[in-house]
Amino acid sequence: MNGLLQFFIITPSLLAAAAFLSPKRIKGLREGIALVATGLNLYFALAYFGRDIYATVPWGGGLGLDFSLRLYGFSSFIIASAAAFSFLITLYSSVFMYKKEHPGQFYLYLILSVAMINGAVLADNLVVLLFFWEGLLVTLFGMIFIGHKGAYKTAMKALIIAGITDLCMMLGIALTYYLAGTLTISKIHLPMSFGASVAFIFIMIGAISKAGSMPFHSWIPDAAVDAPLPFMAFLPGSLEKLIGIYFLTRISLDMFQLSAGSWVSTVMMIVGAVTIILAVMMALVQKDFKKLLSYHAISQVGYMILGIGTAVPVGIVGGIFHMLNNAIYKSCLFLTGGAVEHRAGTTDLRKLGGLGKVMPVTFASFIVAALAISGVPPFNGFFSKELVYDGALERHWIFYFAAVAGSFFTAASFLKLGHSAFGGKISEEFKKIKEAPFAMLVPMVVIASACIVFGLYNSFPIDKLIAPVLGEHAQSHVFSGFPHNIMLVAITLVVLAGAVLNHIYGVKKTGKGLGAVDHIHHAPVLSTLYDKSGQADPYDIGMKLTGILAAGLWYIDRGIDWLYNGFSVYSAYAIAFVSKNIRGASYSAFIIWSLIGAAAVLAMMFGKS
Amino acid sequence: MSKELIMMLTIFVPVAGSAAVPFIGAVSARARNVVSLLLVAASVIGSFIMLPEVLSGKVITVSKTLPLGFNLVFVSDMLAVFMALVSSVIGSIIVYYSWGYIKPYRNQNEYYFMVVLFIGSMMGIVFSANLIMLFIFWEITALTSWRLIGFFREKDYVLKADKSFLVTVFGALMMLLGFVMIYGQAGSFDLAVIKQTFASSPVPNIAVILILLGILSKSATLPLHTWLPDAGVAPSPVTALLHAAVLVKIGVYVYARLFVSTINIADVWYTAVPVIAGASALVSAGAALVDTNLKRIIAYSTVSQIGFIFLGLSIGNETGIAGGLLYILMHGLAKGGLFLCAGIVEQKTHEKDITKLGGLAYTMPLTAVSFMVCSFSVMGIPPFGGFFAKYFVITGAVTAQQFWIASTFVAGAFLTIIYLLRVFALTFLGEPKGRAPKEGSFVMVSSVVALSVLSLAGGVYINYLTGPMQLTVQQMLGLLNPVRGTQTQVMSTNNDKQYVLYASNKIKGIPSRHSGTISNGVK
Repeated sequence: MNGLLQFFIITPSLLAAAAFLSPKRIKGLREGIALVATGLNLYFALAYFGRDIYATVPWGGGLGLDFSLRLYGFSSFIIASAAAFSFLITLYSSVFMYKKEHPGQFYLYLILSVAMINGAVLADNLVVLLFFWEGLLVTLFGMIFIGHKGAYKTAMKALIIAGITDLCMMLGIALTYYLAGTLTISKIHLPMSFGASVAFIFIMIGAISKAGSMPFHSWIPDAAVDAPLPFMAFLPGSLEKLIGIYFLTRISLDMFQLSAGSWVSTVMMIVGAVTIILAVMMALVQKDFKKLLSYHAISQVGYMILGIGTAVPVGIVGGIFHMLNNAIYKSCLFLTGGAVEHRAGTTDLRKLGGLGKVMPVTFASFIVAALAISGVPPFNGFFSKELVYDGALERHWIFYFAAVAGSFFTAASFLKLGHSAFGGKISEEFKKIKEAPFAMLVPMVVIASACIVFGLYNSFPIDKLIAPVLGEHAQSHVFSGFPHNIMLVAITLVVLAGAVLNHIYGVKKTGKGLGAVDHIHHAPVLSTLYDKSGQADPYDIGMKLTGILAAGLWYIDRGIDWLYNGFSVYSAYAIAFVSKNIRGASYSAFIIWSLIGAAAVLAMMFGKS
Repeated sequence: MSKELIMMLTIFVPVAGSAAVPFIGAVSARARNVVSLLLVAASVIGSFIMLPEVLSGKVITVSKTLPLGFNLVFVSDMLAVFMALVSSVIGSIIVYYSWGYIKPYRNQNEYYFMVVLFIGSMMGIVFSANLIMLFIFWEITALTSWRLIGFFREKDYVLKADKSFLVTVFGALMMLLGFVMIYGQAGSFDLAVIKQTFASSPVPNIAVILILLGILSKSATLPLHTWLPDAGVAPSPVTALLHAAVLVKIGVYVYARLFVSTINIADVWYTAVPVIAGASALVSAGAALVDTNLKRIIAYSTVSQIGFIFLGLSIGNETGIAGGLLYILMHGLAKGGLFLCAGIVEQKTHEKDITKLGGLAYTMPLTAVSFMVCSFSVMGIPPFGGFFAKYFVITGAVTAQQFWIASTFVAGAFLTIIYLLRVFALTFLGEPKGRAPKEGSFVMVSSVVALSVLSLAGGVYINYLTGPMQLTVQQMLGLLNPVRGTQTQVMSTNNDKQYVLYASNKIKGIPSRHSGTISNGVK
């Protein structure tokens, strides 16, 4: 298999088992194995970067199942980014998880996730992809599960949501196989007939659910509270976005010939736009560092789906670039949140404040990442958002409007978050806390500087990594460098300035950073909507409907059971009663009648032939 | 030893040996336990010995011609050996587990006698190529399961045992009428003769209905399924035997043997049976979500999963049938594990109501993890084996252009995830209620761990299964040349242990529903 299987899947899987089984007594052994595993993975990812390798082993002969892996430009780019993030997050976890419960299980799941993600990205067969893709459910469940004793409820929620959407994807893959006659991804190029559109929608559900889009998002804010923090930076923050959007791009560009006019494209754009707005509105009013970030993790997916859904080259490039940028700044933000939790012991914004003075490096990383996510030039988020805006505007102004409004609220909520956690007055109990430990700072600083590098030198990621993905679609376009449409840049700057003014107004009105958006929260119509938002979890609604359905099915089942326990018994009694009262009846008469009947049945049956 | 003798030993060592079990038990309980396990293990060994020969495309036959078409025929082909292996391997693990479970109870001699006879008659069903022989073994399983379900002898339990006996025997008698109708046309009960008779024209629908009544009642499918949850009053290894290894698998096996590989049925059944299976899968999944008795929930889950097996077998293309067979294996392993875990919970807590259980994972970690692994496999989550089975079955339905039926089953799979997680969470997670029980005994825990490891291995090493599975399907559909023992149709490539069928997609003259869709993609 040219090393693909051995290096990217088997090696990490074995090391995961080693990390899990390593004895507790030897301090640092487990962390060491985990670092070696993700470090080796990063090494292989870089060593194989940019190579074209195709490897296949027939698995199921004529059943279409071949174990085929394919490394090429796009997949090596995703593998390398995923490897970099997982290495840095492992480094960070080696400190963060040191005194926490179940570190063995944590590293087992983390490294196994890396192996599964490698498998899913490399897979060139839809079932192999689904195998690794759905396999992530197990590690997802496990990682949330070890958070604390009650975390299993969130773990179940995540597993149910992800499991159901993955089954949808299975159905979509079955349909694709039926339409295309092959499971080999690189051989599928379906025109968008109605059947193909249905298949696309089902696969898309799996892809956007992995990326954390609405309406499959609601486990993420819960997990932010329950799961160990590095998990948030690792799966929902970066890697799940990478593979979710990676596969969304693959189906939109390669497997299905998605065109800008199709209804599927419009559906994707609507999902993207709604996700941006609703999730950012929820993020705005959160009073917890991690929960606020988790809603942004949802909201940012909206930009990627919107960008790819436009089905115009500039939008797609923007969507993919945004995926990369989001993984960078979002994992950085989660890591700063973890540093705050590690030192201050809480992430409740009502208690935090003034940490910028005692944790300057963490604060600096936070500022860089926050500026990037808000789309301030020259950080990376600015460039990808401008590309998405451009694509959205090419389709319809309403999508552009949603994206820009999302940016306004994103900026407003990060002003609030930064102000209330790092700015303002510091309380007595936090005065003594120190800067985060070195091993936690390194990943934050490295990732934060990537925000600047990918902004200033965006021609590298765009021209070298992303544009080749589009193939002939991207020819004669230039996406890198400063945005061409100066008008859009001006609007962006005005919107950002508006967010700052809004912040100043809010702070003046309430006197504290945390209250900066209270005037939006308590605005006439919005406050009622916010009050009701607690009941609008699509998961809860779905479970309620499932409960009703199950109750109905249960009655059907009981009804059938009554046929045996009630009906057949009573009818036997009734027949016995009637035949007992037949005048002159005797046993011999009944036996003769029965035999005649049996003979008649047999005669009828033989008579047919 | 000749292969023919091995086949007869595979069947009759447990069947005949079971009679000796009570006598040995009168002398020594330990010797009885060991002998019971060895008798079942004989079937495992016998099946393994036949495996290479059968996989090379040969068919082992033992026959004695009797007048009036009552020929005594036993045939061992890939399907038979596959099914024998699944039943006997899982059966052996269950017998081993019984050493620990059944220890405190009375009537152990009867228990082991019935269990060994039960598994032995399953072997009889599997290798019979004669409808009357098949029916006789079928009824022996009905009798033994009747005794075993009512094993604890409480009045309510005995009534439930009666119920399962009456329902399955009613089905069996209907099936016998169906067999008689087939006999009326073919003039023989020999499957080979029947196959020739119905080679061109389908069997009359009324016979199909009658036989289906038997199959559906044995395999607990809507609307003949409610005896199976009630049978949960049996000792846990017996429920495992009923659900995973033997009883409900009889129905699906006979479906595969009769309606897939032997006789033609009218086209309407390729839609009707999946529809029945879909209703069964959905209704019982809903019931599993409402019920609160641990073993009843798992039993409803079996009814639901049997629906998936029927879907695969009845949809009429290679992918589906291969999926159905794989499903039999994976479901057997995982469901056996679930019931044996439930048995440990039941023995340690004396409680079956999941609302009164909780937090067991902290004191019974191995049982909890095994339960979770088996649940994942039933849910169809990789890397566990159930994933591939589910995928093949769903793909089979889609390939047969039954998109709506496939969607129904996907909805059933949604419910599967939800109800199994619910059971797991209520039983093993949360706050412990009452006294915290200890982990089960070594014998019992090692059995469930073995089953969960097999479930994992089934997924990771799927490449060793798909090849033989596909060959089995080809043989069932008659796509391999039916030359007995002379010609090898299979080329085994030297390195990767996979099988390439010669010209499998070039064979002409196969009924349209079987051909084309797999190797050629869409027609």
